[in-house]
Formats: sequence, structure tokens, C-alpha cells
Amino acid sequence: MTFWALYFAEWRALLADKAIVVTLFGGVVFYSVLYPLPYLHQVPTEQTIVVVDQDNSSLSRKLTRHADASAKIHIIAHANSIDEAKQLIQQGNAYGLLVIPEGFRRNLLLGKGATLSYGGDASYFLIYSAVAEGLVAAGMDAGKQVQLMGLLARGENPTLADQNINSVNINAVPVFNPSLGYTPYVVPGLFILILHQTLLIGTGILGAGQWRKKGYWQQVSPMAIFSARMAMFVSLYSVFSSFYIGYCFYAYQVTVLGTLAETALMMLPFLLATTAAGITLSCLFTRRDLPTQIFLLSSMPILFVAGFVWPIALIPEPLVWMSQVIPAIPAINSMLTLNQMGADWSAIMPQWLQMWLMFAVFSGLALVGIKYRQNQISKIH
Amino acid sequence: MLTMMDFVKREWRALWQSPWQLALVTYIPIVSVLCLWWLFSAGLPRQLPVAVVDLDNSQISRMLTRKMSANAVMKLESYGQLDLAIKDMREAKVYAIVVIPYQFKYQLLTSKSPTIDIRYNSQYLLVGKLLSSQIQMSLGAGLFKSAEQKLLMSGVNHASIAVNLSPVTSQTTALFNRNNNYVGFLVPPVLIALWQLLAMMVFSNALNKELITVNNQVTLPQDLWIKVLAKCAVFLPIMLLHSSFILLLLYQYLQLPYAGALGVLIIAQAIMLIALWLIVTMIFLMMKDSARCVSFCTALFAPAFAFMGITFPVNEMPELAQYWRLLMPSSHYIDSHVSVVSYGADSALVLQQLSSYWMFIFILPVIVGLWHRAPKSSGDTLDTGLLDSSSSVKSEFI
Repeated sequence: MTFWALYFAEWRALLADKAIVVTLFGGVVFYSVLYPLPYLHQVPTEQTIVVVDQDNSSLSRKLTRHADASAKIHIIAHANSIDEAKQLIQQGNAYGLLVIPEGFRRNLLLGKGATLSYGGDASYFLIYSAVAEGLVAAGMDAGKQVQLMGLLARGENPTLADQNINSVNINAVPVFNPSLGYTPYVVPGLFILILHQTLLIGTGILGAGQWRKKGYWQQVSPMAIFSARMAMFVSLYSVFSSFYIGYCFYAYQVTVLGTLAETALMMLPFLLATTAAGITLSCLFTRRDLPTQIFLLSSMPILFVAGFVWPIALIPEPLVWMSQVIPAIPAINSMLTLNQMGADWSAIMPQWLQMWLMFAVFSGLALVGIKYRQNQISKIH
Repeated sequence: MLTMMDFVKREWRALWQSPWQLALVTYIPIVSVLCLWWLFSAGLPRQLPVAVVDLDNSQISRMLTRKMSANAVMKLESYGQLDLAIKDMREAKVYAIVVIPYQFKYQLLTSKSPTIDIRYNSQYLLVGKLLSSQIQMSLGAGLFKSAEQKLLMSGVNHASIAVNLSPVTSQTTALFNRNNNYVGFLVPPVLIALWQLLAMMVFSNALNKELITVNNQVTLPQDLWIKVLAKCAVFLPIMLLHSSFILLLLYQYLQLPYAGALGVLIIAQAIMLIALWLIVTMIFLMMKDSARCVSFCTALFAPAFAFMGITFPVNEMPELAQYWRLLMPSSHYIDSHVSVVSYGADSALVLQQLSSYWMFIFILPVIVGLWHRAPKSSGDTLDTGLLDSSSSVKSEFI
């Protein structure tokens, strides 16, 4: 059998297997839509809060209006007491509360100072941070206005008064994901992981389905079947990767800073190493429904150990070491470094070499595995 | 006449004989639950590297640096040049850069409003947002000090300084999770999502055992339904045991705060499992092939975590996502979970919430329809199943 004949035989075997087609073609396309779907609105806005206004003065009403004007907050109710507000939160109608104490305006005008209380439902972190940011901004604004009024009343010059209040400007700007959007944050790492997992499942099911039956795969040398399978999966996944990184990243407004050549060069050892790892692992299976289950169980741990959801410095070190044998881990990190944060190639060089090393090791193991399966079936028959 | 007990016994035997299924109901859940908890066990983000580029090197700028390094969330690293800091930021070696400008003190003393620049890495969204607010808080506390001196010099009396500086003080409370602990926030939904996947696999594996292949035609046994009931009777308690383990680990061993009575959550979990298994049964009847059934269920339930609405709020999801969310039993459950753990909802309210599963009733007629159309085997019952399962066990791991 020539290489090309084997290559097309691999394609036929792949396309004939409905379970693989469902996972690979269906899964890759379906997930590209489904996973980012909940996050399409990017940032939580207009989170509902309730106000407990025990002051009922012009200033407290102004503060309430200012808070409501914040894009992050929507005031749905005025409660008479904190208990009443608590009920609204427990019924899921509101996610936060603002308490304006009695005598708020009076104390401020007398120069006594007043304390505003904010609360946000920290069972949901994004909601909590939206509520807290919105309320803190509104409260600070109210404070500054009172301060300005005081200074002006004491006869200060308006420009000077303004400077007095804002003696230092703090200019905090998010970088790499300027809109603080959720899809630019989740999509790059997640999509690499989807490619990784579906590729492992695909090679796993294909192998598991073949090892027990006679077929073209045992008539050739392990090297031949290995190279043909590698070529087939890598060419298929080049298309999938181009769709994910080339199209989906743009569609989901992910920051893209890497050049085409560099990103492609980075993906090459990732696809090679993952396919080789998939073929190696496939030699462990003979039941076609097992690979999906095992790789599915590993998905969530891999996602979290990759270090973009939860900082890698806080993950216990043994877990980080163990994760280094998974091709997706260096791939996710180099994708983020190279493409999302625009680092130089030299920054990802160690991870790039790590992926090549994985490719070498997994290739060796895959050859041993295929040889073992071939011997086994010839013994049986 | 075979009794229900015989079928239950048969189920236990099949479970005992299948190494993978046995692993799925014994050590795999425990190991993965512990691993995922271990991953997040730090709980509170701290000592995150932050680059400080101090171009002023004055007494005030050093004071600000000290204030920031007193914050437990940050670990400051001093950089002489901005370029180096930017390079390390791009490589995610630091998560934020604080630049104190040249002549900062001079400008401050001459009332020129200098600007402190903060850049935080929002590619790592949670870390970036946290650092941004913490850096601003620490800087604010530091600047308060210098503003105080300024006021004292201009002759404001000591007692009124605090009010002069910030007439409105604020007190922000994180309700239901006082110290913003990630273990309390993220680990319960992650573990529930994992548990749902495990329950899905266990049940679909058990169902797939009932497929009988005769002459390349896949048929179903006549008495499929009593077998399905037997499977529920066996696996429901086992899976509930695992979920109770999760609850015990989180709320008893780790002592995460909870407001309500956790017992009622077990009922909610049982209902969630039944809803989940209804979907699995429907897919099983549609696919009638083990690998395809598992693949399809995987495609359906793998993204369940994203749709729970814990990390990203439900009311901000597009409408389509909100509908899709309702198909996932885990999203129904997590609502009850949060209302019991955070809000201390009583049993009556939780039972009332369970009515949100009503739409799963529509699966029943579909299942009945699929069952009537499916080819059934004519052979007798208990033995074929047993033969089938034992033969597949032998070939499981050659």
C-alpha cells in the first residue's frame, strides 16, 4: 500500500464511523456556537438592586438617581427596611442593596460625615463586582460634590477646589481585553481545549473500533499506519483550527495580536503532539464508547489547571507538574501569550519546544502501541 | 415470574462485572472531586505579581509602594524600566503595572494633579479585575495620608480632617460569601457539573448494555422498562451518595457557610437525576448505539457549567442561551442550591422551585413514541441481558 492509498483509507474509515463524525464535525461546529453562547453580551450591566433610603432628603434622592444612571445598576425597588430588602434579594428579584442612613444629608452639611452601606450578592462574583463598582462610583461622586460645595462655600477658587478634590488622578486601564468582555477571556483557551479534546476522542474512537477487527491497518508497518493517521488528522484539524482561530476569534471579538505565520507555527507542534498522544492513548482502548467518557471527565480539570481561569501561582504545584504532559496546557499558554497578549516568539519558545518534545515521545509510544495491537490480533487470528 | 428484585440483583451483578462502570461509581468521582477542590483550595487569590515602575523615587512614591505591598493580594516587583515591565506583562509574569510618573511629588506639592497609571491584564479577567480594585484601594489609602498632611499644613483643625477628605465613607459587604472565597463560589457548581456528567455516563453505559445485536440488527429487549426501573433503583442511591459526599466535603469538612437545611437538596438532586436520565433514555432510544449515544450526551451536557449562570449571570445571557439553559437539569438544581446555601430557603420553597422541571414531562411522550417504533427482540428476558453483559465484559479490556 502506498502512503496515499493508506491516507485515503484512513479518511474512509473516519467518515464511515458515525460516532466519530458526530464528535468531530458535529462537536467542533456545535461547540463553536454553544460554548460562547451564554457570554455573548460580554459584560453584566443593569444589575438589579434595591435601595433602603432612611434619609429621604434631596441629596439621598440625588444619590439614588446617580446610582440608577450607572450602566451597571438598575434600581428596581425602594424598601422600607433592610429586612424587606433582604426578602427581595432572597426571592431573586435583586442582587444588591444600597442603604442610605438616616440623617445622611444633615450630617454631611454639618460636616460630620456619613457612611453609605453597599451590599452585593457574592454568590455570583460578576454580579457582585458590577454592583459594587457601580455603587462605589455613585457614592464617591456624591461625596465629591458635597466636598466641592463645602470648599466653594468657604470661598475657594473653583479651579483650585477641583484640584484639591482630585489631587491625584488614577488612570486604571484594562489591557489585552479592553472591554473586559467575557468571550475574549474565555474563548481562546476554551477553543484550544475543544480542539484538543475532540482530536483525542476522534483518534481514540477510531483506534478502539479497529484494534479488534482485521483491516488495512494491520497489513502495513506501524510506521506507515502511524504516519498516514497523523497526516489525516493533522490535515483535518488544520481546517478546524483555521475555522476556530481564523474565523471564530474574529467573530467573537477576541483580541488578536499574533501574526498568521507565528500562530500557524505555534499550532503545528500542538496538532502533531495531540494527534500522536491520541493515537498512543487509543491503543489502550478497545471499547468505542470509552474514549469519549474518559476525555470528557478530563476536560474540566484541564481547563482549570491551564491557569487562565484561576491563577497558576495558586494551583498546587504537583497538579501543575502533572498537567505538563498534556499538549493543551503549553498550547493554551502560548496561544494567550503570543496571540492575545502579543509577546515575542522568544517568550513561547520553551513551550513550543515542550510540544515538540511531546510529539517525539508520544510518537515513540504510539509506534510501540500499534505494534502491540498488531501482534495481538495476529496471535488471535 | 421474575420480580423487581431479580432485576435489581441482575443490575448489581452487571455493575460488579464491568470494571469501567464500577470505577465510575466508586473511585473516579471521589478522585475527581478531591482533585478539583485541591485545584481551587487556595480559596483567596493572594500574592499575585504586580510590577511597579517608580520613576519618581521620592518619599511619597516609596510610601505608596509600601502601602501596596502591604496588601495581601499583591506581590510587588520593582522594575527600573517600563519596557521590561511591559515585556513581562505580555508574558503573564506580572498581572498589572503601576507607573508612578517622574516628578510625582513635585507635581503633587505644586498642585498639578499628577496621574498614576495602572494597566491590568484583563485577558485574565478575574485576576485583572481584582487587582485593579485592590491597587486603587491601596493607593487611595496611601494618598489619604499625604492629603491629610496637606490639610494640616493649610490650617484645617485635626478633628475635621477625616470628614474634609472624604465626607462620604462607604462600607461594602459581600453578601452570602463574606470574604469572596472562590471555594464557596466556584467549587460547588463545578462539582455539580462533574457529578451530572458522571451520572449521565453511568446511566448511558447501563442502558447501552441492553442493546442486543442479532444479525447486524440492533434490537431492544421486550422488558426494557422494568430493567430501566431497576437501573434507577440501583444507581439513584449510588449517585446520591456521591452528591452527599460533595455536600459533606464542602459544608461540613471545609465548613463553608450555609444558611438553610442541606437535607432538602438531596431531594432536589434526586429530581435532577431523574430529569437527566429521562433525556439520556430519549437519546439512547434515538441512537441505539453505545458510542454514538455517549458522544451525543457528551455534546449536550459538557457545556452545562457555562449555562449554570454562576460565573456569568443568567439575566445577561442571550434569550437562546436562557432557553438552552432550561434543558440542563443542573441549571435547575443550582438555583435551588444557591437559594438554600446562600439565602437559607426553607424546604417548601425548594419543593416549589422543583416545579421548574415541568417541561421535562414532554420527553415522556417522545420516549413512548420512540419505544413503539424501535425494533424489539423476541428472545426471553433476564438471560439474554446477562449473557450480553458478561460477554461484553470479557472483551472490555483485552
